[in-house]
Amino acid sequence: MPESATLQREKGTDIYYSLGEHLKEKSRELCGVLFLHCGDCGSPSQLKDRIRDFLQHEPGLKPEVQQDSSTQAIAVLLPGLTLDATHYQALLLKQHLQDTMENVEPRITLTVFPGQVEPTPGVLRQMAESTRLDISSDIHIFTRGESIQTPGRILIVDHDDTVREFLNIRLQMQGFETLEAMDGTSALELIEKWEPDLVLTELNLYGIDGLPFIHQIRQLPIESTPKIVVLTERRVEKTISQCFQYGVDDYVTKPFSPVELDARIHRCFH
Amino acid sequence: MVAIYYVMIVNVLYFTIMGLSYRSISTIARRTKYSSYNTLSGSELVPPVSLLVPAYNEELTIIENVYCLMTLNYPTYEVIVINDGSSDQTLSVLISEFKLEKMANPDIRGTIETQNVRGIYHNSDYPHLFIIDKENGGKADSLNAGINLSHYPLISSIDADSLLEKDALIRMARMYMENPEETVAIGGDVRIANGCLIENGAVQKVSLPRKIWPMFQSIEYLKAFLGGRIGWSRMNGLIIVSGAFGLFRKDYVIAVGGYRGGYPGEDMNIIIKLHRYMLSHKLPYKVAFCPEAVCWTQAPDSYKIISNQRKRWGRGNLKNMIENRGMLFNPKYKVMGMITMPYNVLFETLNPYFRITGLLALIGYTLLDMTHWRILLTFFLLNFLSGYLLSVGAIVLEEIAFRRYKKLSDLWKMLLFSALKFVGYHQLGVLWRVQGHIQYLRKNNSWGTMTRQSWKEESKAA
Repeated sequence: MPESATLQREKGTDIYYSLGEHLKEKSRELCGVLFLHCGDCGSPSQLKDRIRDFLQHEPGLKPEVQQDSSTQAIAVLLPGLTLDATHYQALLLKQHLQDTMENVEPRITLTVFPGQVEPTPGVLRQMAESTRLDISSDIHIFTRGESIQTPGRILIVDHDDTVREFLNIRLQMQGFETLEAMDGTSALELIEKWEPDLVLTELNLYGIDGLPFIHQIRQLPIESTPKIVVLTERRVEKTISQCFQYGVDDYVTKPFSPVELDARIHRCFH
Repeated sequence: MVAIYYVMIVNVLYFTIMGLSYRSISTIARRTKYSSYNTLSGSELVPPVSLLVPAYNEELTIIENVYCLMTLNYPTYEVIVINDGSSDQTLSVLISEFKLEKMANPDIRGTIETQNVRGIYHNSDYPHLFIIDKENGGKADSLNAGINLSHYPLISSIDADSLLEKDALIRMARMYMENPEETVAIGGDVRIANGCLIENGAVQKVSLPRKIWPMFQSIEYLKAFLGGRIGWSRMNGLIIVSGAFGLFRKDYVIAVGGYRGGYPGEDMNIIIKLHRYMLSHKLPYKVAFCPEAVCWTQAPDSYKIISNQRKRWGRGNLKNMIENRGMLFNPKYKVMGMITMPYNVLFETLNPYFRITGLLALIGYTLLDMTHWRILLTFFLLNFLSGYLLSVGAIVLEEIAFRRYKKLSDLWKMLLFSALKFVGYHQLGVLWRVQGHIQYLRKNNSWGTMTRQSWKEESKAA
């Protein structure tokens, strides 16, 4: 089970990573990017071919069509197009799909690089996700505002149910995506699969002790190591200095001030 | 008639001890509930502890145990595993799991004589883990070697087949910190882990054992620890701190010459020696019992192993009593000399002989038609009822203070087996003790085999 999950993850990240790299290379040239997702309209690869056929027949386009197997979204790069040109193509594409297929509701998110947002893998993934979760059939233009609206993913690791619940609610209200883990070993699995931007962890954990846990997070085969904020009962100075040596970003002791914790987490994101 | 007086005295004593337990229990329950162990477990002020884990042929369980011990909620501590010349792969599984390396210049500061230490292993990624590899010399010898290496002022001996609860050590330390000058030793509560669900080196779901031998032992332990030791510790007459989990002040353990090698019963021996030392130097002291610090141990589940274990206990007990007979009825030794030791000799060590003679006398009387069968029956019934009441008393104590067994069916099962214990199991206990004494007289001095099961199989079976 874990193996298949990692495989999926590799494929999933590859596309955003390679797209990101691709876009960075031609950072000077304009490039429209749109993500398309439609609920259940036959096999995605068929859809992909259909889109490619359609776009290739449009004059003056050199489209690149790729597909992300994990979100089922289809990514289309339209080099040289401005934002309104991309939007126009998206409208045409949507019209075409609705004419040729039955019961399709294509949902499209688009933007243009270089533009308001940087083409990082995270932003691209976020675009794909928002396409998938979109409920309106209007074409959606992805702006800077949105990329700040969902600031990141936080994994909360603590054995205490009450603490986890409190942090979970508080952080979600601030717009963070959160997941919880009870103990060190399941947290490690989650980090690998879900790739959070920040891990908020206690040091007293089951399965694996806090320090080796932090050490292992940093050795996981993932692209960008998450930031680590320790929130713990332990206040022995030696432990604190060891944690910083192991590369944690911040250390907060319990009982903690929620406002202070917010501030420290926000600082990690900026 | 002697037999009847004996039974009466024994029961009065048992009930007194149990009564003392009841007087303490509300304090204990409140302490368990309301003390802020979490905050303590991160405090700079908690004294550091060296955990000593003697291991002899423990390749199946040792890794799980070390992981468990390394994730305790405790600010500063170290884990010292002592490989006592195991004939299996204990050392090599440890080395490969934790990527240990032999230390070039180990710093051994101790003064107690032990068998030759072959090497000390360490890995800087796990700064608080040390493995001592030494020639075989028994459990006491291993503990002494551990004391020699230990860096901290408190030591705690833990069996390699036991799992500590995460809070166990901090709970003990809390008790120690209440009176650090006088507390020389603290015992923990030992419970039977057979039947419990074990995951990640911790007991996740508590339930009773399925097999019959561990089941009897569960009740026996409950009775001994909750019904007995709480009461004994209240009058500072505790004669034993279980070898499976206890905390000691290192300076006094060294002062009494460390653990005595060469004979089982080293856990009782060290406590008697500590009592003796403190009393003869007229130092105020306390040997405490901390029932909320729980250690889960694997109980033997076959006749052969349990009988071996009990014979060993019988042998150790006799040896300790003979060695320390000078303390008996010696007013200098206060509670210890006047109550605990005589109690132990009369009602623990000599218990089987009284029982057997009592039984023989009863049979004799009956054959000679000197007793009426009604009297006989009331005698048996009284005996049974008082014993049963003691067991039930212990179960009630458990329910008042701890409530580890959550299922109602477990409660019924405990009550049932407390009664069944009197048919067969008790009699076997008497037999094993006598056999132990015979072994002692024959100078048979083996530890006996203790086979281990992997914790994983255990939790699968449950």
